[in-house]
Amino acid sequence: MSELLEQFSAPPLIELESDLEALRKHAQKVLMQHGFPQRKTEAWKYTPIAALERRDWSSDGPDESAARTESIELPFDAHRIPVHNGQIDTSQLNEIDGLHIEPLRAEQIDTSAYVDHDPSDAFAWLNLARLEQGICIRVTHTLERPLALQFSSSDQFKQAAHPRIRIELAEGVEATLFEQHRLHGSGLINLVMDLQLAAGSSLQHLMQRQNDESALIARTEAQLEQAAHYQAYVLDLGGALTRQDLKVHLNESRARTRIHGVAALKDKQLVDYHTAIQHRVGPSHSEEDFRILADNHSMGVFNGRIHMLPGADDSHSDMNTANLLLSEHARINTKPELEIHAEEVTASHGATVGQLEEAARFYLRSRGLNDAEALALLKFGFAAAAFDALESEPLRQWFTDRLKQAL
Amino acid sequence: MSQTQQQVEQLIQSRYKAGFYTDIESETVGAGLNEDVIAMISAKKEEPAWLLEWRLKAFHHWQTMVGPNWAKLKLPAIDFQKIHYYAAPKQENRPKSLDEVDPKLLETFDKLGVPLHERARLAGVAVDAVFDSVSVGTTFQKELKEAGVIFCSFSEAAREHPDLVREHLGSVVPYRDNYFACLNSAVFSDGSFVYVPKDTRCPMELSTYFRINARDTGQFERTLIIAEPGAEVSYLEGCTAPMRDENQLHAAVVELVAQEKSKIKYSTVQNWYPGDENGKGGIYNFVTKRGDCRGDDSRISWTQVETGSAITWKYPSCVLRGDRSAGEFYSVALTHNHQQADTGTKMIHLGKDTTSKVISKGISCGKSQNSYRGLVRMAKRADNARNYTQCDSLLIGKTCGAHTFPYIESANPTAKIEHEATTSKIGDDQLFYCRSRGMDEEEAVALIVDGFCKEVFKELPMEFAVEAKALLEISLEGAVG
Repeated sequence: MSELLEQFSAPPLIELESDLEALRKHAQKVLMQHGFPQRKTEAWKYTPIAALERRDWSSDGPDESAARTESIELPFDAHRIPVHNGQIDTSQLNEIDGLHIEPLRAEQIDTSAYVDHDPSDAFAWLNLARLEQGICIRVTHTLERPLALQFSSSDQFKQAAHPRIRIELAEGVEATLFEQHRLHGSGLINLVMDLQLAAGSSLQHLMQRQNDESALIARTEAQLEQAAHYQAYVLDLGGALTRQDLKVHLNESRARTRIHGVAALKDKQLVDYHTAIQHRVGPSHSEEDFRILADNHSMGVFNGRIHMLPGADDSHSDMNTANLLLSEHARINTKPELEIHAEEVTASHGATVGQLEEAARFYLRSRGLNDAEALALLKFGFAAAAFDALESEPLRQWFTDRLKQAL
Repeated sequence: MSQTQQQVEQLIQSRYKAGFYTDIESETVGAGLNEDVIAMISAKKEEPAWLLEWRLKAFHHWQTMVGPNWAKLKLPAIDFQKIHYYAAPKQENRPKSLDEVDPKLLETFDKLGVPLHERARLAGVAVDAVFDSVSVGTTFQKELKEAGVIFCSFSEAAREHPDLVREHLGSVVPYRDNYFACLNSAVFSDGSFVYVPKDTRCPMELSTYFRINARDTGQFERTLIIAEPGAEVSYLEGCTAPMRDENQLHAAVVELVAQEKSKIKYSTVQNWYPGDENGKGGIYNFVTKRGDCRGDDSRISWTQVETGSAITWKYPSCVLRGDRSAGEFYSVALTHNHQQADTGTKMIHLGKDTTSKVISKGISCGKSQNSYRGLVRMAKRADNARNYTQCDSLLIGKTCGAHTFPYIESANPTAKIEHEATTSKIGDDQLFYCRSRGMDEEEAVALIVDGFCKEVFKELPMEFAVEAKALLEISLEGAVG
């Protein structure tokens, strides 16, 4: 790991203003002190970071080769923000009413939640340590069209990039954020996203990923004020290594969140979901449902954590994770945690790991489907349930179509 | 109002009824841990040379280890050099029968309700009583011998049945297993040894009662139970300690070996001194308990009722190695005042068609923290393995915490795992209903908690179920209002 650390801790290329530079220095210090997560680091127990070490990070300089001009398809018209090889391009967003884009300032970076006494948050620190381009998107009015963050990388992409994006929703604003990833090459995108939801605002955050060998380590942290509403739907259809930390802080009363996700994995793909929902004040409400289908030699990980702090009275939380193991070489590791420090709350979680019922397959075959069709239908039924709660019909359709194709 | 307050205070104070101290002359080794202390413990127990060697190996390994910090426990650093590793009531020669045992000791166990003497034999439970570092007596040895069952103190087993001990000691919990198991392997004092021969059903319940009496000592007992093919045994364990302002350490290891078609049922009612209402004093309870279902169709069942200890760190586990073997874990853990419990189980499925069931009930009151931590692992070869886990937590009071950390790992597509957990407080409607039927709040809470724990209590042998229920009621006193 030391070589990797050396490569990552080389001085950044672009000089930043002094406050940001100080933050960057501090992050470098923390990173050098604790290094990257090891097998014994609880939060990274199932994410094989060592695989990154084996990669060839030696080629330096940004990849300027013929950019893979893949335009990622979207089912609707949107305000697009392409992020190619980690470079955020906001040129298509000029003078849009209610949308303000500015460079990230030091006071907009909150590291108070980052662990600085062990390597648990090493990649969040790394993002800061290598910070070159960060943006803040402020949404002051409800937008007509959704925002689309489209991450891509070219086949020759071998580097590590550390984009940082902050999105602020003003009071009462409603927005839809589409986050798509089509990463090629063999690099690393180490993304940090901070979402700020002011009182009464509502964000629908849709994530869809279909990567190759490139690794993605993403940390999304949402802060919700009074009666704010954050919904996230995730669909992962592959990627050699995808790690998604999704942290939602329900900071004020009547804040609520729903996070649902599906990962359909094959070959040697790996998806590791680490979610944490913090109920600071009651009443607040959270609901979580993650479904993983692991085939071939793939591995699916779900670590969900519900944390009710003293004062979160009258809050309610439900967490569910269902997993299908479809091959004798695949692995599922799951850990749904509850940490409750308030009395007047209800919290529950359920977790299952298993395979499809033989009886159900037999029933479908007796109705004329062949085995492959029966299997695909059952897998689809199992996974698609996570998108049932998606209110927008076209969006739901788009998600389920993608899922159907993948299965 | 003030009278009620007074009553509640009285109740809180009367909560720990086993907190007395027996004034008996005892022999204690100076504080601290080194090779000489270990050699001395081994010599006192007249152990064979290989056992001392094993202890020293463990000690040298322990010196290279660091204590675990992953549990959700706030724990001050333990100074292992301040602890006395051996304390025993003084006696000229080893008593040959119960009649030769110091009457003061028998009185102590009498006070604790443990049937050691003749008249209590009517209770029909064979008892091994361990006082600080030594076993003071084992009842019914003759009757058990007739059935071929060996039930004696661990020291006696090491002397009388060295081959059996040598074959199985450390075979389930190796000395390198974890920090506290390693410490235990170096300094273990007494404990029980049970051997049930082939196709034998142990004719009575076996029981061990552990008592810490001396000041500044630690208790490090080691229990080994071996069930040969087709054997069956039910074993009960109870424990208490005097009320003291200092914390005392208890680090035990229990190993169960279940051969083909054998059954072991292990029940614990843990009532170590939990500390006072301000969190002062109490036992630090770090225990490694593991059962190995070695043979096909074997079965191990753990039942525990945990109400005592300032800190509980305990994960009774089953390694389901044999095909069709089964593991069970039933637990009630109640924490009050400043108690902290991090407890649960591990079910490691290695064999085909293995099954496991986990029922855990956590009750938190006062300012206590109660965590369930469990692991269910389905290995690659565990075809058609099944697990069902249910862990429920009940919160009584605004300042306590209830947490659940279940690890689920599956590497076999034919294995099925189901896990469910809930956390809530006692429903106002339930309380209102009970109170409208004439119960006061405390009675109502006790009744609801009793119902909440029913699934676990029904697994306990009759005598223990009654005791556990009473213990829970006493522990709940002062928790409401």
